[in-house]
Amino acid sequence: MSAEPINVKQELDVRGAKCPIPIIKARQEINRIPVGEVLRVIATDPGSVNDFKGWAQTAKNIELVRQEESTDSSGQRLFIHYLRRLA
Amino acid sequence: MSAIGALEKTQLTAAQLKELLDRGEKLVLLDVRNEEEYRRWPIESRHPIRMLNIPYYHFVETPDTAVAQVPRESPIVAVCAKGGSSAWVVEEILLPRGYRAANLEGGMQAWGRFYQPRLVPEAEPVFRIWQLERPARGCLHYLVAYGPQHRHAIVIDPPRHLEAILHLVDTHQLKITHILDTHAHADHISGGVALAQKTGAPYYLHPYDGIHPIDVLPATIPYEMTKDGQTFMLDHARLQVLHIPGHTLGNTALYLEGDGKRFLFSGDSIFIYSIARPDLGGRGEAWSPLHYKSLFERLLRLPEDTVVLPGHFSQPREARPDGVFAATIAELKQRNPDLQPRSQSEFVQYMLSSLPEFPKQYIEIKRVNIGLLQPSEEYADELEFGKNVCALADAYRA
Repeated sequence: MSAEPINVKQELDVRGAKCPIPIIKARQEINRIPVGEVLRVIATDPGSVNDFKGWAQTAKNIELVRQEESTDSSGQRLFIHYLRRLA
Repeated sequence: MSAIGALEKTQLTAAQLKELLDRGEKLVLLDVRNEEEYRRWPIESRHPIRMLNIPYYHFVETPDTAVAQVPRESPIVAVCAKGGSSAWVVEEILLPRGYRAANLEGGMQAWGRFYQPRLVPEAEPVFRIWQLERPARGCLHYLVAYGPQHRHAIVIDPPRHLEAILHLVDTHQLKITHILDTHAHADHISGGVALAQKTGAPYYLHPYDGIHPIDVLPATIPYEMTKDGQTFMLDHARLQVLHIPGHTLGNTALYLEGDGKRFLFSGDSIFIYSIARPDLGGRGEAWSPLHYKSLFERLLRLPEDTVVLPGHFSQPREARPDGVFAATIAELKQRNPDLQPRSQSEFVQYMLSSLPEFPKQYIEIKRVNIGLLQPSEEYADELEFGKNVCALADAYRA
Protein backbone atom coordinates (compact mmCIF):
# COMPACT_ATOMS: atom_id res chain seq x y z
CA MET A 1 0.00 0.00 0.00
CA SER A 2 1.29 3.46 -0.90
CA ALA A 3 2.30 5.73 1.94
CA GLU A 4 1.95 8.94 -0.07
CA PRO A 5 -0.05 11.63 1.70
CA ILE A 6 -3.69 11.82 0.71
CA ASN A 7 -5.41 15.16 0.42
CA VAL A 8 -8.35 14.81 2.79
CA LYS A 9 -11.40 17.06 2.38
CA GLN A 10 -13.44 15.89 5.34
CA GLU A 11 -12.94 13.77 8.43
CA LEU A 12 -15.48 11.52 10.16
CA ASP A 13 -14.79 10.29 13.67
CA VAL A 14 -16.82 7.18 14.51
CA ARG A 15 -14.65 5.92 17.36
CA GLY A 16 -16.66 3.70 19.69
CA ALA A 17 -19.49 3.24 17.17
CA LYS A 18 -20.47 -0.29 16.17
CA CYS A 19 -21.73 -1.31 12.77
CA PRO A 20 -23.83 -0.21 10.95
CA ILE A 21 -23.20 3.34 12.26
CA PRO A 22 -19.76 3.93 10.63
CA ILE A 23 -21.03 3.07 7.16
CA ILE A 24 -24.36 4.88 7.51
CA LYS A 25 -22.55 8.04 8.64
CA ALA A 26 -19.84 7.66 6.01
CA ARG A 27 -22.53 7.42 3.33
CA GLN A 28 -24.10 10.69 4.59
CA GLU A 29 -20.71 12.46 4.66
CA ILE A 30 -19.68 11.21 1.22
CA ASN A 31 -22.87 12.71 -0.19
CA ARG A 32 -21.85 16.10 1.22
CA ILE A 33 -18.33 16.35 -0.23
CA PRO A 34 -17.60 17.31 -3.85
CA VAL A 35 -16.93 14.61 -6.45
CA GLY A 36 -13.23 13.68 -6.51
CA GLU A 37 -12.63 14.58 -2.85
CA VAL A 38 -11.60 12.19 -0.06
CA LEU A 39 -13.31 11.42 3.26
CA ARG A 40 -11.19 10.04 6.08
CA VAL A 41 -13.07 7.79 8.55
CA ILE A 42 -11.59 6.94 11.95
CA ALA A 43 -13.15 3.83 13.48
CA THR A 44 -12.38 1.49 16.38
CA ASP A 45 -14.40 -1.52 15.24
CA PRO A 46 -12.04 -4.13 13.70
CA GLY A 47 -14.99 -5.38 11.63
CA SER A 48 -14.95 -2.05 9.78
CA VAL A 49 -11.92 -3.16 7.72
CA ASN A 50 -13.77 -5.84 5.76
CA ASP A 51 -17.05 -3.95 5.85
CA PHE A 52 -15.58 -0.82 4.22
CA LYS A 53 -13.93 -3.01 1.58
CA GLY A 54 -17.21 -4.73 0.80
CA TRP A 55 -19.17 -1.49 0.88
CA ALA A 56 -16.79 0.26 -1.51
CA GLN A 57 -17.15 -2.62 -3.98
CA THR A 58 -20.93 -2.45 -3.69
CA ALA A 59 -21.38 1.31 -3.86
CA LYS A 60 -21.25 2.81 -7.31
CA ASN A 61 -19.56 6.13 -6.54
CA ILE A 62 -16.96 5.24 -3.92
CA GLU A 63 -13.32 4.29 -4.23
CA LEU A 64 -11.56 2.92 -1.16
CA VAL A 65 -8.22 4.67 -1.56
CA ARG A 66 -6.44 3.22 1.45
CA GLN A 67 -6.92 1.56 4.85
CA GLU A 68 -4.55 2.07 7.75
CA GLU A 69 -4.25 0.65 11.22
CA SER A 70 -2.76 2.59 14.12
CA THR A 71 -3.02 3.07 17.86
CA ASP A 72 -4.06 6.19 19.75
CA SER A 73 -2.30 7.53 22.86
CA SER A 74 -4.42 5.32 25.17
CA GLY A 75 -3.50 2.17 23.26
CA GLN A 76 -6.86 1.93 21.49
CA ARG A 77 -6.58 0.30 18.04
CA LEU A 78 -7.75 2.59 15.24
CA PHE A 79 -8.89 1.60 11.77
CA ILE A 80 -8.69 4.45 9.28
CA HIS A 81 -10.42 4.36 5.94
CA TYR A 82 -9.91 6.82 3.04
CA LEU A 83 -12.84 7.02 0.64
CA ARG A 84 -13.04 9.07 -2.57
CA ARG A 85 -16.34 10.21 -3.99
CA LEU A 86 -16.30 9.24 -7.68
CA ALA A 87 -19.60 10.64 -8.92
CA MET B 1 -40.90 -16.95 26.49
CA SER B 2 -41.18 -19.89 24.11
CA ALA B 3 -39.14 -19.78 20.96
CA ILE B 4 -42.25 -19.66 18.79
CA GLY B 5 -43.59 -16.74 20.79
CA ALA B 6 -40.16 -15.23 20.38
CA LEU B 7 -40.55 -15.22 16.61
CA GLU B 8 -43.38 -12.72 17.05
CA LYS B 9 -40.90 -10.40 18.78
CA THR B 10 -38.16 -8.52 17.04
CA GLN B 11 -35.32 -9.86 19.22
CA LEU B 12 -34.31 -13.52 19.58
CA THR B 13 -31.75 -14.88 22.03
CA ALA B 14 -29.19 -17.46 20.92
CA ALA B 15 -31.04 -20.08 23.02
CA GLN B 16 -34.34 -19.27 21.29
CA LEU B 17 -32.73 -19.45 17.86
CA LYS B 18 -31.19 -22.84 18.73
CA GLU B 19 -34.58 -24.17 19.79
CA LEU B 20 -36.14 -23.02 16.51
CA LEU B 21 -33.32 -24.59 14.48
CA ASP B 22 -33.50 -27.90 16.38
CA ARG B 23 -37.23 -28.11 15.78
CA GLY B 24 -36.74 -27.51 12.07
CA GLU B 25 -38.95 -24.39 12.12
CA LYS B 26 -39.31 -22.94 8.68
CA LEU B 27 -37.38 -19.69 8.72
CA VAL B 28 -34.86 -17.81 6.65
CA LEU B 29 -31.52 -16.95 8.21
CA LEU B 30 -30.50 -13.61 6.74
CA ASP B 31 -26.82 -13.09 7.49
CA VAL B 32 -25.89 -9.45 6.89
CA ARG B 33 -22.14 -9.74 7.58
CA ASN B 34 -19.63 -9.28 4.79
CA GLU B 35 -19.13 -12.28 2.50
CA GLU B 36 -15.75 -13.22 3.97
CA GLU B 37 -17.03 -13.48 7.55
CA TYR B 38 -20.14 -15.32 6.44
CA ARG B 39 -18.12 -17.83 4.42
CA ARG B 40 -15.78 -18.48 7.32
CA TRP B 41 -18.46 -18.90 9.99
CA PRO B 42 -22.09 -19.49 9.02
CA ILE B 43 -24.79 -20.64 11.46
CA GLU B 44 -25.64 -24.30 10.86
CA SER B 45 -28.62 -26.48 11.58
CA ARG B 46 -29.20 -30.21 11.53
CA HIS B 47 -32.29 -29.57 9.41
CA PRO B 48 -32.13 -28.08 5.91
CA ILE B 49 -32.44 -24.36 6.29
CA ARG B 50 -32.67 -21.43 3.93
CA MET B 51 -29.63 -19.17 4.28
CA LEU B 52 -29.14 -15.82 2.65
CA ASN B 53 -26.06 -13.62 2.81
CA ILE B 54 -26.79 -10.01 1.94
CA PRO B 55 -24.24 -7.72 3.62
CA TYR B 56 -25.91 -4.85 5.48
CA TYR B 57 -24.18 -2.20 3.35
CA HIS B 58 -26.30 -3.39 0.42
CA PHE B 59 -29.33 -2.35 2.48
CA VAL B 60 -27.64 1.02 3.13
CA GLU B 61 -26.69 1.55 -0.49
CA THR B 62 -29.58 0.13 -2.51
CA PRO B 63 -32.29 -0.92 -0.04
CA ASP B 64 -34.95 -1.74 -2.62
CA THR B 65 -32.69 -4.01 -4.66
CA ALA B 66 -31.44 -5.74 -1.51
CA VAL B 67 -34.92 -6.24 -0.08
CA ALA B 68 -36.16 -7.72 -3.36
CA GLN B 69 -33.88 -10.75 -2.66
CA VAL B 70 -35.48 -11.44 0.74
CA PRO B 71 -38.38 -13.94 0.55
CA ARG B 72 -41.66 -13.11 2.24
CA GLU B 73 -43.09 -16.60 2.85
CA SER B 74 -41.15 -17.41 6.02
CA PRO B 75 -40.12 -15.41 9.08
CA ILE B 76 -36.66 -13.86 8.80
CA VAL B 77 -33.97 -14.09 11.47
CA ALA B 78 -31.27 -11.53 10.79
CA VAL B 79 -27.72 -12.15 11.97
CA CYS B 80 -24.51 -10.10 12.04
CA ALA B 81 -21.27 -9.99 14.02
CA LYS B 82 -22.55 -8.32 17.19
CA GLY B 83 -26.24 -7.74 16.53
CA GLY B 84 -26.14 -4.05 15.58
CA SER B 85 -26.33 -4.16 11.81
CA SER B 86 -28.87 -6.95 11.78
CA ALA B 87 -31.07 -5.01 14.24
CA TRP B 88 -30.85 -2.02 11.92
CA VAL B 89 -31.84 -4.14 8.90
CA VAL B 90 -34.79 -5.58 10.82
CA GLU B 91 -36.04 -2.31 12.27
CA GLU B 92 -35.30 0.17 9.50
CA ILE B 93 -35.69 -1.99 6.43
CA LEU B 94 -37.69 -5.19 6.92
CA LEU B 95 -40.39 -4.36 9.49
CA PRO B 96 -41.46 -1.10 7.77
CA ARG B 97 -41.92 -3.13 4.57
CA GLY B 98 -44.22 -5.60 6.27
CA TYR B 99 -41.78 -8.50 6.82
CA ARG B 100 -42.00 -10.84 9.80
CA ALA B 101 -38.44 -10.46 11.03
CA ALA B 102 -36.44 -10.84 14.22
CA ASN B 103 -32.86 -10.03 15.10
CA LEU B 104 -30.40 -12.44 16.74
CA GLU B 105 -29.53 -10.43 19.84
CA GLY B 106 -25.77 -10.07 20.24
CA GLY B 107 -25.16 -11.61 16.81
CA MET B 108 -22.43 -14.19 16.22
CA GLN B 109 -20.69 -13.07 19.40
CA ALA B 110 -23.68 -14.24 21.45
CA TRP B 111 -24.10 -17.34 19.27
CA GLY B 112 -20.44 -18.20 19.86
CA ARG B 113 -20.93 -17.99 23.63
CA PHE B 114 -24.05 -20.14 23.72
CA TYR B 115 -23.89 -23.64 25.21
CA GLN B 116 -26.74 -26.10 25.31
CA PRO B 117 -26.65 -28.80 28.00
CA ARG B 118 -28.35 -32.14 27.27
CA LEU B 119 -28.55 -35.22 29.46
CA VAL B 120 -27.12 -38.41 28.00
CA PRO B 121 -29.96 -40.88 28.72
CA GLU B 122 -27.77 -44.03 28.77
CA ALA B 123 -25.95 -42.74 31.83
CA GLU B 124 -28.94 -43.01 34.14
CA PRO B 125 -29.29 -44.06 36.87
CA VAL B 126 -25.60 -44.68 37.59
CA PHE B 127 -24.38 -41.29 36.42
CA ARG B 128 -25.88 -38.05 35.21
CA ILE B 129 -23.91 -36.91 32.21
CA TRP B 130 -24.56 -33.53 30.65
CA GLN B 131 -23.19 -32.99 27.18
CA LEU B 132 -22.79 -29.25 26.61
CA GLU B 133 -23.01 -28.46 22.94
CA ARG B 134 -21.42 -25.25 21.68
CA PRO B 135 -23.27 -25.15 18.36
CA ALA B 136 -21.38 -22.23 16.84
CA ARG B 137 -18.02 -23.97 17.08
CA GLY B 138 -18.86 -27.66 17.02
CA CYS B 139 -17.40 -28.22 20.49
CA LEU B 140 -18.72 -30.66 23.11
CA HIS B 141 -17.98 -30.36 26.83
CA TYR B 142 -19.00 -32.65 29.68
CA LEU B 143 -20.23 -32.51 33.24
CA VAL B 144 -20.44 -35.96 34.85
CA ALA B 145 -22.26 -36.29 38.17
CA TYR B 146 -21.64 -39.42 40.23
CA GLY B 147 -21.97 -40.92 43.70
CA PRO B 148 -24.95 -40.92 46.08
CA GLN B 149 -27.69 -38.59 44.76
CA HIS B 150 -25.25 -37.60 42.01
CA ARG B 151 -23.85 -34.83 44.16
CA HIS B 152 -20.23 -35.04 43.03
CA ALA B 153 -19.12 -34.19 39.55
CA ILE B 154 -16.16 -34.06 37.22
CA VAL B 155 -15.78 -31.69 34.29
CA ILE B 156 -14.18 -32.85 31.05
CA ASP B 157 -12.83 -30.33 28.52
CA PRO B 158 -14.36 -27.22 30.12
CA PRO B 159 -14.89 -24.27 27.74
CA ARG B 160 -13.71 -20.68 28.10
CA HIS B 161 -17.18 -19.50 29.18
CA LEU B 162 -18.06 -21.25 32.42
CA GLU B 163 -21.55 -19.83 33.06
CA ALA B 164 -23.46 -22.81 31.62
CA ILE B 165 -21.47 -25.31 33.72
CA LEU B 166 -21.64 -23.19 36.88
CA HIS B 167 -25.38 -22.84 36.39
CA LEU B 168 -25.79 -26.64 36.36
CA VAL B 169 -23.48 -26.94 39.36
CA ASP B 170 -25.65 -24.46 41.29
CA THR B 171 -28.98 -25.87 40.20
CA HIS B 172 -28.06 -29.45 41.09
CA GLN B 173 -25.88 -28.53 44.09
CA LEU B 174 -22.86 -30.36 42.72
CA LYS B 175 -19.39 -30.47 44.16
CA ILE B 176 -16.75 -30.56 41.48
CA THR B 177 -14.02 -33.03 42.39
CA HIS B 178 -11.88 -33.22 39.23
CA ILE B 179 -11.38 -31.10 36.13
CA LEU B 180 -9.70 -32.75 33.17
CA ASP B 181 -8.65 -31.64 29.73
CA THR B 182 -8.27 -34.60 27.39
CA HIS B 183 -5.42 -32.63 25.75
CA ALA B 184 -4.14 -29.09 25.27
CA HIS B 185 -6.70 -27.81 22.79
CA ALA B 186 -5.77 -25.88 19.66
CA ASP B 187 -9.25 -24.85 18.53
CA HIS B 188 -10.74 -23.34 21.67
CA ILE B 189 -9.60 -21.76 24.89
CA SER B 190 -9.93 -24.06 27.88
CA GLY B 191 -11.72 -22.97 31.03
CA GLY B 192 -9.87 -25.60 33.08
CA VAL B 193 -7.54 -23.38 35.07
CA ALA B 194 -10.23 -20.77 35.74
CA LEU B 195 -12.70 -23.44 36.86
CA ALA B 196 -10.08 -24.96 39.16
CA GLN B 197 -9.52 -21.53 40.74
CA LYS B 198 -13.28 -21.05 41.22
CA THR B 199 -14.01 -24.48 42.66
CA GLY B 200 -10.77 -25.57 44.29
CA ALA B 201 -10.87 -28.84 42.34
CA PRO B 202 -7.59 -30.02 40.78
CA TYR B 203 -7.05 -29.52 37.07
CA TYR B 204 -5.45 -32.38 35.10
CA LEU B 205 -3.55 -32.51 31.82
CA HIS B 206 -1.08 -34.98 30.35
CA PRO B 207 2.45 -33.55 30.77
CA TYR B 208 3.39 -34.16 27.13
CA ASP B 209 0.80 -31.49 26.30
CA GLY B 210 2.40 -29.17 28.85
CA ILE B 211 5.00 -28.34 26.22
CA HIS B 212 4.01 -26.16 23.30
CA PRO B 213 4.75 -28.27 20.21
CA ILE B 214 5.79 -25.36 17.99
CA ASP B 215 7.43 -23.03 20.53
CA VAL B 216 8.90 -25.94 22.52
CA LEU B 217 8.27 -24.00 25.71
CA PRO B 218 6.86 -25.40 28.97
CA ALA B 219 3.46 -24.58 30.44
CA THR B 220 3.21 -21.89 33.07
CA ILE B 221 -0.27 -22.92 34.25
CA PRO B 222 -0.79 -24.95 37.43
CA TYR B 223 -1.87 -28.52 36.59
CA GLU B 224 -1.72 -32.05 37.88
CA MET B 225 -0.18 -34.57 35.51
CA THR B 226 -2.16 -37.51 34.22
CA LYS B 227 -0.56 -40.71 33.01
CA ASP B 228 -1.61 -43.76 31.09
CA GLY B 229 -3.60 -46.21 33.18
CA GLN B 230 -4.15 -43.76 36.02
CA THR B 231 -7.52 -44.44 37.64
CA PHE B 232 -9.72 -42.04 39.54
CA MET B 233 -12.26 -43.67 41.84
CA LEU B 234 -15.58 -41.85 41.45
CA ASP B 235 -17.49 -43.46 44.30
CA HIS B 236 -17.98 -47.03 42.99
CA ALA B 237 -17.13 -46.09 39.43
CA ARG B 238 -13.71 -45.84 37.80
CA LEU B 239 -12.42 -43.22 35.43
CA GLN B 240 -9.32 -44.42 33.61
CA VAL B 241 -6.87 -42.28 31.68
CA LEU B 242 -5.90 -43.73 28.29
CA HIS B 243 -2.85 -42.05 26.80
CA ILE B 244 -3.52 -42.07 23.06
CA PRO B 245 -0.87 -39.93 21.34
CA GLY B 246 -1.56 -38.88 17.75
CA HIS B 247 -3.68 -35.75 17.63
CA THR B 248 -1.30 -34.35 20.24
CA LEU B 249 1.58 -36.09 22.00
CA GLY B 250 -0.20 -35.89 25.35
CA ASN B 251 -3.62 -36.75 23.96
CA THR B 252 -5.83 -38.80 26.28
CA ALA B 253 -9.27 -40.34 26.29
CA LEU B 254 -11.15 -40.99 29.52
CA TYR B 255 -12.86 -44.34 30.05
CA LEU B 256 -15.67 -44.34 32.62
CA GLU B 257 -16.97 -47.64 33.94
CA GLY B 258 -19.47 -48.28 36.69
CA ASP B 259 -22.31 -50.74 37.38
CA GLY B 260 -22.22 -52.10 33.86
CA LYS B 261 -22.18 -48.67 32.17
CA ARG B 262 -19.26 -47.83 29.90
CA PHE B 263 -18.45 -44.44 28.39
CA LEU B 264 -15.46 -43.18 26.49
CA PHE B 265 -14.86 -39.44 26.54
CA SER B 266 -12.86 -39.54 23.37
CA GLY B 267 -11.83 -35.86 23.25
CA ASP B 268 -10.09 -35.32 19.93
CA SER B 269 -9.55 -38.88 18.71
CA ILE B 270 -12.73 -40.56 17.51
CA PHE B 271 -15.59 -38.36 16.39
CA ILE B 272 -18.96 -39.60 15.15
CA TYR B 273 -18.24 -39.46 11.41
CA SER B 274 -14.55 -38.62 11.38
CA ILE B 275 -11.38 -38.69 13.43
CA ALA B 276 -9.00 -36.05 14.77
CA ARG B 277 -6.25 -34.79 12.49
CA PRO B 278 -2.63 -35.61 13.34
CA ASP B 279 -0.91 -32.44 12.15
CA LEU B 280 -1.85 -29.59 14.50
CA GLY B 281 1.44 -29.98 16.35
CA GLY B 282 3.31 -29.48 13.08
CA ARG B 283 4.43 -33.16 12.98
CA GLY B 284 1.72 -34.86 10.95
CA GLU B 285 3.98 -37.45 9.36
CA ALA B 286 5.71 -38.44 12.57
CA TRP B 287 2.52 -38.53 14.63
CA SER B 288 0.24 -40.37 12.17
CA PRO B 289 1.58 -43.86 13.02
CA LEU B 290 1.06 -43.10 16.72
CA HIS B 291 -2.48 -42.01 15.94
CA TYR B 292 -3.09 -45.28 14.09
CA LYS B 293 -1.96 -47.37 17.05
CA SER B 294 -4.00 -45.27 19.49
CA LEU B 295 -7.19 -45.53 17.47
CA PHE B 296 -7.07 -49.04 16.06
CA GLU B 297 -5.01 -50.93 18.61
CA ARG B 298 -6.39 -49.21 21.68
CA LEU B 299 -9.72 -47.40 21.46
CA LEU B 300 -11.43 -49.69 18.96
CA ARG B 301 -10.57 -52.67 21.18
CA LEU B 302 -12.72 -51.34 24.01
CA PRO B 303 -15.99 -53.22 24.62
CA GLU B 304 -18.34 -52.81 21.65
CA ASP B 305 -21.15 -51.39 23.79
CA THR B 306 -19.00 -48.53 25.12
CA VAL B 307 -20.77 -45.24 24.41
CA VAL B 308 -18.36 -42.78 22.82
CA LEU B 309 -18.88 -39.13 23.74
CA PRO B 310 -16.61 -37.03 21.48
CA GLY B 311 -15.09 -33.59 21.91
CA HIS B 312 -16.36 -32.27 18.58
CA PHE B 313 -18.84 -32.66 15.81
CA SER B 314 -18.37 -31.49 12.25
CA GLN B 315 -22.01 -31.21 11.23
CA PRO B 316 -25.07 -30.68 13.44
CA ARG B 317 -26.80 -33.58 11.67
CA GLU B 318 -24.38 -35.98 13.38
CA ALA B 319 -26.59 -35.66 16.48
CA ARG B 320 -29.02 -38.46 17.27
CA PRO B 321 -32.74 -37.62 17.15
CA ASP B 322 -32.55 -36.85 20.90
CA GLY B 323 -29.91 -34.22 20.14
CA VAL B 324 -27.02 -36.07 21.81
CA PHE B 325 -23.78 -36.62 19.91
CA ALA B 326 -22.92 -40.22 20.82
CA ALA B 327 -22.45 -43.67 19.31
CA THR B 328 -21.22 -47.05 20.52
CA ILE B 329 -17.89 -48.48 19.43
CA ALA B 330 -19.84 -51.09 17.42
CA GLU B 331 -21.79 -48.36 15.60
CA LEU B 332 -18.67 -46.33 14.90
CA LYS B 333 -16.88 -49.34 13.38
CA GLN B 334 -19.83 -49.64 11.01
CA ARG B 335 -20.45 -46.09 9.99
CA ASN B 336 -17.37 -43.93 10.59
CA PRO B 337 -15.55 -43.75 7.23
CA ASP B 338 -12.21 -42.91 8.89
CA LEU B 339 -12.36 -46.01 11.10
CA GLN B 340 -12.74 -48.54 8.31
CA PRO B 341 -10.05 -51.25 8.31
CA ARG B 342 -6.79 -50.02 6.79
CA SER B 343 -3.18 -51.04 7.19
CA GLN B 344 -1.01 -48.57 9.05
CA SER B 345 0.62 -47.29 5.87
CA GLU B 346 -2.76 -46.97 4.07
CA PHE B 347 -4.11 -45.12 7.06
CA VAL B 348 -1.15 -42.72 7.25
CA GLN B 349 -1.43 -41.92 3.56
CA TYR B 350 -5.22 -41.55 3.85
CA MET B 351 -4.85 -39.13 6.75
CA LEU B 352 -2.10 -37.02 5.27
CA SER B 353 -4.09 -36.61 2.06
CA SER B 354 -7.20 -35.46 3.95
CA LEU B 355 -5.84 -32.55 5.95
CA PRO B 356 -7.89 -29.36 6.00
CA GLU B 357 -6.27 -25.92 6.19
CA PHE B 358 -4.18 -25.26 9.30
CA PRO B 359 -5.64 -22.18 10.99
CA LYS B 360 -2.71 -20.08 12.16
CA GLN B 361 -4.55 -18.99 15.30
CA TYR B 362 -4.37 -22.62 16.52
CA ILE B 363 -0.72 -22.13 17.43
CA GLU B 364 -1.73 -19.09 19.45
CA ILE B 365 -4.67 -20.82 21.17
CA LYS B 366 -2.30 -23.55 22.40
CA ARG B 367 -0.10 -20.81 23.85
CA VAL B 368 -3.11 -19.48 25.73
CA ASN B 369 -4.07 -22.94 26.97
CA ILE B 370 -0.74 -23.62 28.62
CA GLY B 371 -0.31 -20.11 29.98
CA LEU B 372 2.25 -18.70 27.52
CA LEU B 373 -0.14 -15.90 26.56
CA GLN B 374 -2.99 -14.08 28.35
CA PRO B 375 -5.39 -12.72 25.72
CA SER B 376 -7.85 -9.86 26.18
CA GLU B 377 -11.51 -10.84 25.91
CA GLU B 378 -11.62 -9.24 22.45
CA TYR B 379 -8.56 -11.15 21.25
CA ALA B 380 -9.91 -14.39 22.74
CA ASP B 381 -13.09 -13.89 20.67
CA GLU B 382 -10.95 -13.27 17.60
CA LEU B 383 -8.98 -16.48 18.23
CA GLU B 384 -12.20 -18.45 18.62
CA PHE B 385 -13.71 -17.06 15.40
CA GLY B 386 -15.20 -19.77 13.19
CA LYS B 387 -15.86 -23.43 13.57
CA ASN B 388 -13.29 -25.94 14.76
CA VAL B 389 -11.28 -27.82 12.12
CA CYS B 390 -9.90 -30.57 14.35
CA ALA B 391 -11.20 -33.40 12.17
CA LEU B 392 -9.96 -34.77 8.87
CA ALA B 393 -11.57 -32.89 5.99
CA ASP B 394 -13.13 -35.57 3.90
CA ALA B 395 -15.57 -37.31 6.19
CA TYR B 396 -18.39 -35.98 4.02
CA ARG B 397 -16.67 -36.62 0.71
CA ALA B 398 -18.78 -39.70 0.02
